[in-house]
Amino acid sequence: MTTAQGITTLGRWGRERVEGLGRSGRFVGDTLVAARDVATWWPQATLHARTLGVSSLPIALYIALFTGIVLSLLASYSFTGAVPLYFVGTLVEKTITMELAPVLTGLALAGRVGANIAAELGTMKVTEQVDALETLAYDPLAYLVVPRVLAGTLMFPIVVGLAMVVGVAAGWLASILLLGISSEEFVKGLRLFFTVFDVRYGLVKSASFGTAVAWIGCMQGLGARGGAQGVGRAATSAVVYSAVVILVLDAFWAVVWLLGSNP
Amino acid sequence: MKRANDFAVGLTIIVGTAVLIGATLWIKQADFGRDRSTVVARFHDVGGVRIGTPVVVRGVRAGRIEGMELADSAFVLAKMALDPGVMLPPDPVVLLNESSLFGEWQATITSRDAVGRDEDVKRQIAETSRDDGVLPGATLPDIARLTAVAGRIAGDVASVAERVEVAFDDQAAREMRASVRSFSEMSTLLAQTVREQSNNLTTASSDVRGGVQSLVRSAELLKAVAERFDSSTSRGEVKQIVGDAGEAARQLREASRRIAVLSAQLERSQVRLESVLATSDSIARKIQAGEGSLGMLVNDPTLYRNADSALRQLNLLLADVQKNPRRYINLRIF
Repeated sequence: MTTAQGITTLGRWGRERVEGLGRSGRFVGDTLVAARDVATWWPQATLHARTLGVSSLPIALYIALFTGIVLSLLASYSFTGAVPLYFVGTLVEKTITMELAPVLTGLALAGRVGANIAAELGTMKVTEQVDALETLAYDPLAYLVVPRVLAGTLMFPIVVGLAMVVGVAAGWLASILLLGISSEEFVKGLRLFFTVFDVRYGLVKSASFGTAVAWIGCMQGLGARGGAQGVGRAATSAVVYSAVVILVLDAFWAVVWLLGSNP
Repeated sequence: MKRANDFAVGLTIIVGTAVLIGATLWIKQADFGRDRSTVVARFHDVGGVRIGTPVVVRGVRAGRIEGMELADSAFVLAKMALDPGVMLPPDPVVLLNESSLFGEWQATITSRDAVGRDEDVKRQIAETSRDDGVLPGATLPDIARLTAVAGRIAGDVASVAERVEVAFDDQAAREMRASVRSFSEMSTLLAQTVREQSNNLTTASSDVRGGVQSLVRSAELLKAVAERFDSSTSRGEVKQIVGDAGEAARQLREASRRIAVLSAQLERSQVRLESVLATSDSIARKIQAGEGSLGMLVNDPTLYRNADSALRQLNLLLADVQKNPRRYINLRIF
């Protein structure tokens, strides 16, 4: 490999990375522009809200249920002999509300919703249904992407909010039934350091996760090429990228809101 | 189908929102429609107190901190919402303190008299006291500050321990063992001494007890004498005794005066006697030395014999004169 060829390879690699960012940015911009076409996306909104949100409740609550139980047991295991056991309530509340409910629910829904969106739109793309929509004068972004992104943004906080309640309640019950902590002690710890900021932080974070998962799923689906294999790759990429972006956003919100703040 | 979707989504949103808001309000212990009273307290510093920090009266949660704001003159005003029916103690003050080792704070409303003897707290309360209806407040040191002080103390202790470790070598250990042994022996001796002294003390105590009993008996006798004295006083015997004693004293004073005069005379006689003795001594020394007529007479036998002879002749002469006066006395007129 000559020097010129090496430089060319490096340039191509850089261009592809920048092109990916550029395509993503342009896709987001085009979606925002398409959101003005309310008449196109509004009728589809509740359908996707049900698919992305309501139908995701069982898995989200299931995860929250066991997360709360495990957290309370883990807390009691860690606190034995050193920290008062009423801090189990504090740990369960803080951890579930601010971190585990949004992130675990987001990751679970990234697999379920992201893959669903990518596979559905990928199939439409490879079967030229998207082209047909354009032929019928529908803006594919307004018809396919905007309602999904809005549904994800709206319904993720609802699902995560319920997951928070279920997770804390599960931890509470586990503390009473398995650890022998009285209800009053758990509630004392629960209230000890609770602030509304905890809930607000978790909900805003989950809304950003919902937006990202829906957007990535749509982008990967509409970018599918090459038939069923391309659809599969799109679904896989959607899940992987969604998971990565969820963790990046998690760190982003922690840096923006938690670093140096004292709510 | 579309209506079913709308219903399901709408119900989920309503239920989710209601459950989340309800849970939040329950955890926050929000109460609507309750008649809560509000008091405001002034502090220099509120430490780790936050909105929602519990307010405690006599150890019972009675409200919470509802707001804090910076005031002029470097003070902070904390607004506290008290539960209905909560009665404040007389002359109330507010103390902010940590309620556990884990950073929990609370505001304790107590009486000024119950603050204790902490000078810093008293100073803070005095500085935050005004006649404006705002309660004076003080902030107690948090665990971190106390821990820092304890840390310094621990450091000093470690330093001392290190020095002790350096100083406490094998030689020191042997000496200490010897000292302990000596101390043990000394303790034994001390215990023995104490036992002996204890016996002595017991004896002394018995003696003292006997002495006290004697004193009691003496006191009883004295009491009896006093009683007799009282009875004698009533018959005039004491007056006579006192009079006799006075006469005796007067006679004694007179005798004493005479003795003093006699003593002065004796002193003078002594002086004269000493002078006569000195003179006699001088004469005796001269006689002894053969000085003077008497000395020569005493020390020279010849002179004695001559004198003796002369005296005999003089006696013969006197006898002859008496016998024959005309031979020696020739009385003529003209």
